[in-house]
Amino acid sequence: MDPECSRLLPALCAVLTDPRQLVADDTCLEKLLDWFKTVMETESSLHLLQDHPCLMELLSHVLKPQDMSPRVLSFALRLVGIFAGQEDCFQYLQQGELLLGLFGETGALSWASWNVPSVRSGWIQGLCSLAHHPSALHFLADSGAVDTIFSLQGDPSLFVASAASQLLVHILALAMQGGASGSPISEAAAWPVCAQKIVNHMEESLHSKATPQVTQALNVLTTTFGRCHSPWTGVLWGRLSPPVACLFERDPIPAVHSLMDLLLSVARSPVLNVAACGLWEMLAQTLSRLSPAQAGPLALGTLKLQHCPQELRTQAFGVLLQPLACILKATTQAPGPPGLLDGSAGSLLTVDALLSSKSACVGLLCQTLAHLEELQMLPQCPCPWPQMPLLRATVTILRLCDGSADPSSSVGGRLCGTLGGCVRVQRAALDFLGTLSQGMSPLELVLEVFAALLKTLESPESSPTVLKKAFQATLRWLQNSHKTPNCSDLSPDALLFLGELFPILQKRLCSPCWEVRDSALEFLTHLIRHWGGQADFREALHSSEVPTLARQLLQDPESYVRASAVGAAGQLSSRGLQAAPTSPENRQAQQGLLMDLMHILSTDSEGFPRRAVLRVFTEWLRDGHADVIRDTEWFVATVLQAVSRDLDWEVRMQGLELAHVFLIQAMGQPSLHCPYTVGLPEATSPSPHPEFLQTLCRLPLFEFAFCALLDCDRPVAQKACDLLLFLRDKTAPCSGPQEAGDSPNSDSVEAVLQRWRDGELGQPLGDLEPEAMLAILRSLDLEGLQGKLAKSSDHVEKSPQSLLQDMLATVGILEENEADCY
Amino acid sequence: MDACDVRSSPVRVQPFSFYKWAGQDVGRSCILVSISGKNVMLDCGMHMGYNDDRRFPDFSYITQSGRLTDFLDCVIISHFHLDHCGALPYFSEMVGYDGPIYMTHPTQAICPILLEDYRKIAVDKKGEANFFTSQMIKDCMKKVVAVHLHQTVQVDDELEIKAYYAGHVLGAAMFQIKVGSESVVYTGDYNMTPDRHLGAAWIDKCRPNLLITESTYATTIRDSKRCRERDFLKKVHETVERGGKVLIPVFALGRAQELCILLETFWERMNLKVPIYFSTGLTEKANHYYKLFITWTNQKIRKTFVQRNMFEFKHIKAFDRAFADNPGPMVVFATPGMLHAGQSLQIFRKWAGNEKNMVIMPGYCVQGTVGHKILSGQRKLEMEGRQVLEVKMQVEYMSFSAHADAKGIMQLVGQAEPESVLLVHGEAKKMEFLRQKIEQEFRVSCYMPANGETVTLPTSPSIPVGISLGLLKREMVQGLLPEAKKPRLLHGTLIMKDSSFRLVSSEQALKELGLAEHQLRFTCRVHLQDTRKEQETALRVYSHLKSTLKDHCVQHLPDGSVTVESILIQAAAHSEDPGTKVLLVSWTYQDEELGSFLTALLKNGLPQAPS
Repeated sequence: MDPECSRLLPALCAVLTDPRQLVADDTCLEKLLDWFKTVMETESSLHLLQDHPCLMELLSHVLKPQDMSPRVLSFALRLVGIFAGQEDCFQYLQQGELLLGLFGETGALSWASWNVPSVRSGWIQGLCSLAHHPSALHFLADSGAVDTIFSLQGDPSLFVASAASQLLVHILALAMQGGASGSPISEAAAWPVCAQKIVNHMEESLHSKATPQVTQALNVLTTTFGRCHSPWTGVLWGRLSPPVACLFERDPIPAVHSLMDLLLSVARSPVLNVAACGLWEMLAQTLSRLSPAQAGPLALGTLKLQHCPQELRTQAFGVLLQPLACILKATTQAPGPPGLLDGSAGSLLTVDALLSSKSACVGLLCQTLAHLEELQMLPQCPCPWPQMPLLRATVTILRLCDGSADPSSSVGGRLCGTLGGCVRVQRAALDFLGTLSQGMSPLELVLEVFAALLKTLESPESSPTVLKKAFQATLRWLQNSHKTPNCSDLSPDALLFLGELFPILQKRLCSPCWEVRDSALEFLTHLIRHWGGQADFREALHSSEVPTLARQLLQDPESYVRASAVGAAGQLSSRGLQAAPTSPENRQAQQGLLMDLMHILSTDSEGFPRRAVLRVFTEWLRDGHADVIRDTEWFVATVLQAVSRDLDWEVRMQGLELAHVFLIQAMGQPSLHCPYTVGLPEATSPSPHPEFLQTLCRLPLFEFAFCALLDCDRPVAQKACDLLLFLRDKTAPCSGPQEAGDSPNSDSVEAVLQRWRDGELGQPLGDLEPEAMLAILRSLDLEGLQGKLAKSSDHVEKSPQSLLQDMLATVGILEENEADCY
Repeated sequence: MDACDVRSSPVRVQPFSFYKWAGQDVGRSCILVSISGKNVMLDCGMHMGYNDDRRFPDFSYITQSGRLTDFLDCVIISHFHLDHCGALPYFSEMVGYDGPIYMTHPTQAICPILLEDYRKIAVDKKGEANFFTSQMIKDCMKKVVAVHLHQTVQVDDELEIKAYYAGHVLGAAMFQIKVGSESVVYTGDYNMTPDRHLGAAWIDKCRPNLLITESTYATTIRDSKRCRERDFLKKVHETVERGGKVLIPVFALGRAQELCILLETFWERMNLKVPIYFSTGLTEKANHYYKLFITWTNQKIRKTFVQRNMFEFKHIKAFDRAFADNPGPMVVFATPGMLHAGQSLQIFRKWAGNEKNMVIMPGYCVQGTVGHKILSGQRKLEMEGRQVLEVKMQVEYMSFSAHADAKGIMQLVGQAEPESVLLVHGEAKKMEFLRQKIEQEFRVSCYMPANGETVTLPTSPSIPVGISLGLLKREMVQGLLPEAKKPRLLHGTLIMKDSSFRLVSSEQALKELGLAEHQLRFTCRVHLQDTRKEQETALRVYSHLKSTLKDHCVQHLPDGSVTVESILIQAAAHSEDPGTKVLLVSWTYQDEELGSFLTALLKNGLPQAPS
């Protein structure tokens, strides 16, 4: 432990034991525990207790709980547990009977503050930290603590109840870990006392008629099989699977979700011979007995299992497909579509579930679509994957939602009524539709998908969230439709689709909802990024008003939209798509855009558009955009000037990034082509030409970077430091042998720069010549600064000394107003 | 689940926000309410006191089974403070909630600014990489559905919500959540006294089943606001008069505007020339929103808006970083509010060494921040690089927090007239005091669950039932006109179809359901001591009933049986005892009453025949 902390600790312990003193908020106690845990990772807790008697005093004080506030009691219980986690310290504390006084039957349970959930939490947490060695096991068995944990499983506090279950698993694992040095004891009856007690309790609970008790036992078992992968878990399952199987015979089946979780957890266990223990049969029976909505998660879980028999997989997949099969059946003329499930026993149940109520129908469909979406992206995705019927069903669902479906049965008619305008189902269907784009689909169906997407995008009823999903799904279909190897071009059908899409996009760019305008712009930016170079795409785009509208949105009242418009306009310009390519206004439009973006950079009141401008500018600079290379020096100088005044540190940081790109290009990165370095030294030259350094002074890049070094926002200073280090390394060779005065100054960077800024050399920083600039650069201890900045700026405040000081300082001055948050 | 089940389920409330093992704590707000099978999450706050995953609520407790988007019907955000909305982008973009989020228009506008501000501080100061991004904040805000005050918003066919004015900060709202006849009101943070720019919270007599109210000041009766304001102005004035500089660290939006109005008015009145600056560049933005949402401000501001907009400050100017080094007095509002990063900390470092200067902390600061340290009296602060900053400037704490005090909370309970009250967002001891007071005064149950505890309230739902026109007409024919205030008994058949209930005549029910009618008759045997023949016994029965039941139609049929309305009586000989006759009495369920009466009458025997 740090000597300063050792010095502060007695005072703090005294405060904590003094009931008259109000202790700082819970976060301080939490952080204090965090610190103790860290200390005890490297130090013996016994030594710590012996070296700091104040700690022992604090812990002993907990035995007089009437004096202490519940929050300090909770803290102390947890602290005792952490100390007792090391066996020698446990023995030490045992001698003083402290542990029994706290965790025994006559301990915390008898306190008045036991009613406070945080005290019960502290008790469980304490035990959890304590239970790490064989002595702890004996203690738990003898003290009656395990019985208390059993009762806490039903605690009114969700957190206490959950922690109690977790603790039982922890104790069981510890007990079996100690006992299972050789082969597993095949008889649970011969297990350690603690383990037996827990297993007996679980068995009893599984036989209980009360569902909460059954749930508790199932949850403990689920966690056990999830965490423990030793052979003894096989013996455990052998003993408890009969009462678990009995649960399926009850009507209704109790704690269905927990039961499903348990079956899956057992099935995933790497040590259990699942086939031998009849689990597959159990899973199959469960799948067939549960309602479609209940069976869905189990079906998905089953399909995710690695060694699941094919028959069970088929059954599980059938459960997932059933609702969509019903949709298809209800909306298709006889004899029905091939490929998905044909009428089976389950289908009637599913139809019932779909028709029972709107919420049931919506819930089942959303769940099914989400499960199938998840499944398709998994390596365990069933093969063959019924791409076509799934696609048809999904498109049908979208049509049912937008009212364009043609129901061929009474069920279909009722589904139409239920799903009409249902945003939740639309969102889920669009998400799945997007995922389905990954599979191969026949042209006829792709066209149906495009039509459904257009309908959704066009519909005035579509909500902003639905439109966003529709844009995302459209993009995925465009990317994946008729994929041919080595060809990212759009297919002819996709181009036809674009012809219809752009007028809709145009409409959406004028939407009164900012969310829609923004999603449309984001979509447009993606389109251009992917296909901006393709002639047919360019033609389709130019035949619409989309580029003009995107440009107009630079003046949107909503800053998010302005930022997206900046991105879109930047992309359009990069690809030469601002106006018709042959139009004489093209050039003017391009130049106008640069000025518009400069205007946004210097005047927009929001950070997002300004940041977006810098992203575009940096990309332009990197890609050698025509407007930028026309007068790169002016461009960089103007940007830096605007950025240096910016109040948003992210803008300033991106300004430094732009400066960095400029330097890299100008000073020569072999792999980068930089057209404007013509007048500058050879691109691969190891050192920059003096004229270039002059340019840097003129821009003024040096001054910008030096100022940024002292920026109040750490990332800016960090970036500036990196930039100057890069510059220093690049300029070192051209400055000749280093002079004595050039060695890094031990003074702080701030002091050095301040002296320069004050004009020690008779000139203000901005007017200095390259040599003087380089001299400053070399005199700065940039490496030292870099090291300092690498730490977060509150590392001092986060230190344990700071915490102890704060807690001590707060004593006595806590006022009523401490409760203010805002 | 069918509609009947849904409607009979009780209201369940579960505050699960706070870090698991923390007790009572003014931290983040996040409450889960289940009402008639609908699950609504109220607020999604973060705890500024932690830098790790403890800052966000543990959302895994919401549901153990299934996806959050499927489980939750909606999320409601009461106002833009981070302890109520700070975890929203994490919840929607990182945990994966994809459903609707409701908030008022001003909250929707201002919330992303504060989230962005916080994100930048987290990344800037703490160097956190695993934090939500700007894009995530935007994507999260796209899921927001903005609501107007007093507008009933239909979340789905059954669930509706309605916002009420809460004061506290611009756009803060209380929400009523209603499913069928059951409702819950959640107050968020509110203020029952108007301040310089906002009005007082108000709700109508909506009589919810449950009112969930914050109880930050559960036992406090706040001192006069005027005193606090006077004190603040005096301190600022004295400092600038002696040539000192005043730093007021604030969060960009909220209390800052209240203080700006206060200073602006004072400067105007006193004709002061000392410059006041607002440092963040957010002044314009903040003012823009206050102008945009002028209807959310108090009456005075709205009235004078045309002549003079209170938010167009004459004396408060935008701050430039270089101004901090200017000689002479000045007042600077700088962000962030806890002096833990950025500009406020930079200015503090420059000014801390001069005893003429002053820093006024207008709100709570979390442990570890410079704000917390100086408020707890520490005067030597270790900064980066082992530098020690000696704080010689004066340090003042001035609470301008706008929560309802105990009186205000009682006032709101009186306004809404709930069936029960649930206290959240307060300290256990104080809440206990308030709980007793509420129970005594209003005679309603009051709960104060700890974090993670569930409160379940039984409700008596009223189930709407449609009545068929035919049935109503039939009732009308009987001359009974419907009256709004008089309950009436109506007989019919209740049909539950397509999740709705209808009361129709039994004939219509049979027709609609395609069922055939079955007659159900009850039969009872009555033994009579009578040696006469069966026909004579029947005749004696007829005479007896004819004389007893004057208002009923009693008939003696040719086959010897007797009828009274639908009741049929037949006499038969006893198989074993020739001196006993058995009367078989049978009736339909419609004549159950008469049937029982007749049976009892016959059991008493027949009057002696005249000899």
